[in-house]
Amino acid sequence: MPHTVVTIGAGQAAAVAARTLRRRGHDGPIVLVGDEKYRPYQRPPLSKEYLSGEQEPEDGFLLDEQWCADHDIELRLGVRAARLDTTQQCVELEDGSRIPGDGILIATGSRARRLPGVEGDRIVYLRDLDDAARLRGYLQPGSRVVLVGAGFIGSEVASTARSAGADVTMLEQLDVPLEPVLGREMGEVCARLHRDHEVDLRTGEVVESVTETPDGVTVRTRRGTVVDGDVIVIGIGTVPNIEVAERSGIAVDDHGVLVDEYCRTNIDGVFAAGDITSHWHPLFGRRLRVEHFDNANKQSMAAAKNMLGRTTVFDDPHWFWSDQYDLSLQYAGHAERWDEVVVRGSVEALDFVAFYLDAGVVRAAFSVERGAEMYLAKELIAAQARADPAKLRDEDIDLAALVS
Amino acid sequence: MSEWVHVAHLEELTRGRKKVVTVGSEEIALFLVGDRVYALHNVCLHKQRSLAKGTVFNGRVVCPGHQWAFDLETGWEEEKEECQPTYEVKVEGDSVHVIPQRRVLTEAPAVRD
Repeated sequence: MPHTVVTIGAGQAAAVAARTLRRRGHDGPIVLVGDEKYRPYQRPPLSKEYLSGEQEPEDGFLLDEQWCADHDIELRLGVRAARLDTTQQCVELEDGSRIPGDGILIATGSRARRLPGVEGDRIVYLRDLDDAARLRGYLQPGSRVVLVGAGFIGSEVASTARSAGADVTMLEQLDVPLEPVLGREMGEVCARLHRDHEVDLRTGEVVESVTETPDGVTVRTRRGTVVDGDVIVIGIGTVPNIEVAERSGIAVDDHGVLVDEYCRTNIDGVFAAGDITSHWHPLFGRRLRVEHFDNANKQSMAAAKNMLGRTTVFDDPHWFWSDQYDLSLQYAGHAERWDEVVVRGSVEALDFVAFYLDAGVVRAAFSVERGAEMYLAKELIAAQARADPAKLRDEDIDLAALVS
Repeated sequence: MSEWVHVAHLEELTRGRKKVVTVGSEEIALFLVGDRVYALHNVCLHKQRSLAKGTVFNGRVVCPGHQWAFDLETGWEEEKEECQPTYEVKVEGDSVHVIPQRRVLTEAPAVRD
């Protein structure tokens, strides 16, 4: 059982771990070390409620000051960890100082992938509060927003920008947005949502150059398409922040810090949770790295419990949501390949759940406006259920009946 | 001091397992699980979706908006550490009554596992 817990990172996973440790009876010191100057906050509102102005930063903060004071949680903000000294049991900061800790959680998260050399005032990679604050200023009626990438970040920004009355052009590399995750049919549904809301979505477009002037920004694609805008938001994926782990002798792969189903790294007493982890997933029989908010919560709760000796297998089916154009999009599970996509409900009416079956087993599900059924889809995925496609399609059969 | 208000017949709940009723300004979602009736404020404290449109499973009602799972009895969301308001319920014969006054836990109930 550790005496002092130090988290390297002070984001979602770290904050939830701190809370869970206190909830589960850890009395010793807890220190969160984060490179952002802000207290831990939630990122999902940065592309939605905060970006639209419905919410302010304070609404998204995770551990309020009084609670931290009452529960002896120390926040070391605006400081970067250099490495973990596992022999000395301390975290070394870039400024040379050291924080002793015998229970460590690596929660360094991920950063936005950047196009080499593409930086500027009108160029936004949306990851943190400062990025969102900058972007917010550009979302006005009639302003021209150019988005690179039709993934979930780009899609949510498109939705928020359209609500603000901005004109939106979206450049997506693939022929069908999100095809690797959702497949062709469901990817086309996502494309349709944008077009239904007057987003100029151009697929099969790869950015060649981005040029900024005082008056605007111009994007040129390999095909020769030229798009002018007031701001460009580039959402082309993330890169895990593995540098601290690498420097500390903690095993990593290309995707992140390696952890087992108990959130343990290769070093005793060192755990990891959240975006940073390349975690062994017992349900899917492989390693996964996900960037879901829900994973940061659930995995860090599991890590905290394991840290306190309460053995907890982390095998959550994985779930995320995306609120776009007043529609609730949700996804659960993991499927790299599937034999069949079974639709329950109506794609045309944007009211359905699509199940991804691999050798008859439900591996993933994607829903629009069917959050209630998505909960049951998650249960099917967690149970590695074999389901009869005819029953999945039949709305007279309650999905709950298929779970048991 | 609020009093009991008759809000539904048990028979109505037996059919659909759930029902939304309004008492004054309170929108209340009733759920029948086994032989117990639970009453929670229907408007989710998170993003104001309707809990009655959610799923009841394993002693919790799950909001369809973002899968927040509230304990049917206490309204407590264990992961988020927030509490959806609940109402006191009694069933007398076929009659379901609530006290239309919201109850909210201010701290977590003892953890179970």
